[in-house]
Amino acid sequence: MILTAEKLGWKVRGISILQNVSLDVEEGETLGLIGPNGSGKSTLLKLLAGILTPSSGHVSLQGQAMARMSRRQVGQTLAFVEQQSDTFERLTVRDAVELGRTAWLSALRPWSAEDDRIVREALRQVDMSGMEKRSWHTLSGGEKQRVHIARALAQQPKILLLDEPTNHLDIQHQLSILGLVKALPITSVIALHDLNQAMTCDRIGVMSKGTLLAVGTPTEILTLDLIRDVFGVTARFIRDTDGSHLIRFQSIQ
Amino acid sequence: MTDITVERDRRIATRRISYLLGSVFLLLIAVALGVSVGETSMPIHLVGQTLANKIFGASYVLDPIDAGIIWNYRLTRAIVAACCGASLAVSGVVLQAMLRNALADPYILGISAGASTGAVTVLILGIGGGLLSLSIGAFAGSLVAFLLVIMLARAAGGGVGIQATGLIILAGIAGSQLFNALTSFIITRSANAEQVRGVMFWLMGNLSGVRWNDVLLAVPIAIVGVCICIWHRRALDAFTFGADSAASLGVPVRRVQAIVIGTAAMMTAVMVSIVGSIGFVGIVIPHAARFLVGPRHARLLPVSALMGAVFLVFADIGSRVLVPNQVLPIGVITALVGAPGFALILIRGRRIR
Repeated sequence: MILTAEKLGWKVRGISILQNVSLDVEEGETLGLIGPNGSGKSTLLKLLAGILTPSSGHVSLQGQAMARMSRRQVGQTLAFVEQQSDTFERLTVRDAVELGRTAWLSALRPWSAEDDRIVREALRQVDMSGMEKRSWHTLSGGEKQRVHIARALAQQPKILLLDEPTNHLDIQHQLSILGLVKALPITSVIALHDLNQAMTCDRIGVMSKGTLLAVGTPTEILTLDLIRDVFGVTARFIRDTDGSHLIRFQSIQ
Repeated sequence: MTDITVERDRRIATRRISYLLGSVFLLLIAVALGVSVGETSMPIHLVGQTLANKIFGASYVLDPIDAGIIWNYRLTRAIVAACCGASLAVSGVVLQAMLRNALADPYILGISAGASTGAVTVLILGIGGGLLSLSIGAFAGSLVAFLLVIMLARAAGGGVGIQATGLIILAGIAGSQLFNALTSFIITRSANAEQVRGVMFWLMGNLSGVRWNDVLLAVPIAIVGVCICIWHRRALDAFTFGADSAASLGVPVRRVQAIVIGTAAMMTAVMVSIVGSIGFVGIVIPHAARFLVGPRHARLLPVSALMGAVFLVFADIGSRVLVPNQVLPIGVITALVGAPGFALILIRGRRIR
């Protein structure tokens, strides 16, 4: 197991936000996290990334307890793309991607030609080559998200965590970001809102009220009963001409 | 290693050394001007001869009064002004990065005001029984003020982050008003007000009383403080997209925040305990530096330090020569330059957001 959560819990001011979440992420898979607003998807991702410290339970990374690893070691193994993050600084696309090298650099290991190569490669992977000099503030929402992913890739992580990376993007950019993440040859855990998009993940985890209800393949997990119980809507499956399933939703009267 | 990378490394090293030498040269010119220009102007060759006598034991025959003015008054003043400018500018850069707030600066956030109150408390109320020095009192005051302002901003629903820009500035205004009032109250209440520096000194800053013992405190604090911040340049860069993003990039967030904010508070506190609170350096200089060299801290920090140092030496010259036979508080000069600069940052900021 490349990333394991064991009985994770997180409380803020005595209120329990997340309880008893155990999860095994397998090497190379794309794991989707779904659940209504406030079900704890973002909290779980931040706990997995080590940004929040669990109130109970623990996370282990490649079999090693994350609590005993330095931030630098974690940053060399795991990268996290937040839902939305912006800056007032007037930096360029290249500056933003270079930040991904932070965990690898030190006084004894200054910036080198190898880092230049890694940054170029990360930009190429998200299809942003040639945009290095562009100013951050001139980018569209989809382009900003691509740069965030490029920065995460420049960390050369084994695991990529993404918190609703397609939020607030138009449909074309939603699909291209998802396609990009799934094509990456690394393990990824991705929080998603759109259940039809979640259908394309290798496995899905369903969050509800701070617990992880179920984990499994999309066809195992996404049943009409579960959708009704968790999301409070009735659903129907529609078979598309290419044989794939689509979910259609209706509010419960 | 290939020849190309060796060649590249050598070129970078040469460039760094030439920038360093250029900076030292600029700083020396500014200090020389600071020593030379004043109510009685001292010709540059006289300044050079005095320094040669004092430092290298040369034996030029000089008027002892001129030499005294140059060595004990003007030079100490110019050196402390430079240290103060560099410290305040770098503190501004660090606070702006940590709070992700373009308007953050030690003066606006009430850190300078808290330092004044801390220093005055030690000086007049005698807390610590003479064991605590002015600087330590100022440091404690600055930390108290900063924590109070952050807590107030958090309680108001803001805190650290891009949405909280306005709230934290409002909290800073409340904090600095409170601590300035406390400073005034303590000074006015004390029976021996004539023996200590007045309210104007603590609120607006004044370099008149600066002597060599102040130089011996200001120089190491400024150099060490600026170096600590430059050492953390990559971590400071990593905060560009917020603390969570910095953590996921591999930065130990809490430790870095404690070190660099503590360093900024220390630099500000020591400078306030020597020359009082001087406003606007910490906001106008970092933005001017960003405009010149961009937002990356590897360049931004040293350039801000240099510009801050030169700016405050010139501000001090201005404070001595603008009104004949009068010395303006140096805070008046920095505000006259700084307030329009601040307005410009507000207007430019609107376009960014």
